Amino acid sequence: MALSTLEQQALTELDLARARPFRLVDHLSLVRATSVFGAILLWEFFGRDVNPLFLSYPSAIARAAVQLLGAGQFTQQALNSLQVYFIGLAGALAVGIVVGLLMGRYRLAEYILDPFVYALDATPRVALIPILLLWFGLGPPAKIAVVFLSGVFPVLMNTFSGVRTVSAGLVEVGRAYGAGEGKIFTKIIMPASLPFIMAGVRLAVGRALIGIITAEMFAAVTGLGALLIRYSSALATDKFFVPVIFLALLGVILTRAVEYLEKRFAPWKETERAL
Amino acid sequence: MPERDERIIADLGLRRERTRSIYDYPNVIRALSVLCFLVAWEIYGRRVDPLLLTYPTAVLQAAFALITSGELPRQMAVSLATLVVGFGASVILGVVVGLIMGRSRVASAALEPHVNALYATPQVALTPLLMMWFGLGFTVKAVVIFIFAFFPILINTASGVRNVSGSTIEVGRAYLASRTQILFKVVFPAAVPFIMAGIRVAIGRAIVGMVVAELFTAITGLGAMLTLYGNLFETAKMFVVVIVLGILGVALVRATQALERRMARWKETERAS
Repeated sequence: MALSTLEQQALTELDLARARPFRLVDHLSLVRATSVFGAILLWEFFGRDVNPLFLSYPSAIARAAVQLLGAGQFTQQALNSLQVYFIGLAGALAVGIVVGLLMGRYRLAEYILDPFVYALDATPRVALIPILLLWFGLGPPAKIAVVFLSGVFPVLMNTFSGVRTVSAGLVEVGRAYGAGEGKIFTKIIMPASLPFIMAGVRLAVGRALIGIITAEMFAAVTGLGALLIRYSSALATDKFFVPVIFLALLGVILTRAVEYLEKRFAPWKETERAL
Repeated sequence: MPERDERIIADLGLRRERTRSIYDYPNVIRALSVLCFLVAWEIYGRRVDPLLLTYPTAVLQAAFALITSGELPRQMAVSLATLVVGFGASVILGVVVGLIMGRSRVASAALEPHVNALYATPQVALTPLLMMWFGLGFTVKAVVIFIFAFFPILINTASGVRNVSGSTIEVGRAYLASRTQILFKVVFPAAVPFIMAGIRVAIGRAIVGMVVAELFTAITGLGAMLTLYGNLFETAKMFVVVIVLGILGVALVRATQALERRMARWKETERAS
């Protein structure tokens, strides 16, 4: 809706923009930017005064980031972590969805498995890390197991409750039209519970990330978690912040990606919003 | 139904007992399943090197030994003390800052970038830094628990406050309620269901934070027991600690759920798992 020249003129004459007093509420993006830049400046200013063994400052972190990325070691460890992460996560998704579907569809499977599922889901998975390292050693298998265990339960539980909420009417209509059990699974139950499954995947992505970092920190051999331990033991705070920031970005990107997939694959249903 | 009809039905043998199925006894299936698992574990576990895998009776013996020696109760008390301090601080600060962020759009704009950045960072990654700052004692564990639990409470409180309907606040204003009265009599009660949902999510994370902090500081607490017995290859004792942590997790989550139902029964909130 373009303004006519007359209206433009009237606006400039009245000077409506200046008629309103300046209020912070009208300039929220300004507040946001000031807050971020203020924090970075203060950090830079005071961080330089603090002993660099305990706290770093933004420009030093930036320098450390350039140095680490240039040396290639950081990239290698990051790739190492990511590879393990995705293998474990894929396993968690596959097993979580299949077992969740079975438990949701067949009561026998539900009753047989649910004591174990609830017990393991309640146990803080980080507590299992020492045992898993004992069983699988310090290499990738232990980390894959940790990622798997961290990710599998959110997917499984959500798939399970998703299948349970599929209305019996839909299944009966399918049966009435002569659909076999396989067809009912793939054409009715899967699509109907997809929004729940995706919500589970979103939770799993975050938990698995925490799992792999903890495992790598504890094993302290390879991966980003090991880098965190190495730099903190060496009191190299500037380098320490590089993996931290990378992990934060990774977390955001992964969550966004799942949210995008969620909107694409399962746009038809508003699901429970889990934190 | 008259008696005659009953008799005819009986004479003709029309009454049929509903066929019983195993599905009528889900708990029997559950018990059998757990029992089979335990027996299989016992048989298999006895044949495996005890350094790697243990078996249920050994775990029971270890549990008995740890309880009678007083080690388990002592370490658990230490863990719970840090949990209470760290979690208590995160509830208080989370609710206060959440109320401020929910009420003031300026405060929200100023704080949001920092909150989002810190929330996105996997908090475990910060543990080594916190250990450099606060040492290996009580403080660092309380701080780690605080950081793990703070953000869900803060974010839920803020969104709860933003969800308070404008008309309830306007009614309060119309009856000349002051700003503090509106905050404590209108906004806060309306946001309680959200706050409680945040607290429920936070308690699980607080336990994770507690274990992580103790695993790495490895001096006192249940997590330290895990590290210690892991290094000693005493698998049975590790399992005792893991089971205790599992029970602790269930008990605390159940407790918050009960509290949630008591304090916020008027509103169905978002279910976060």
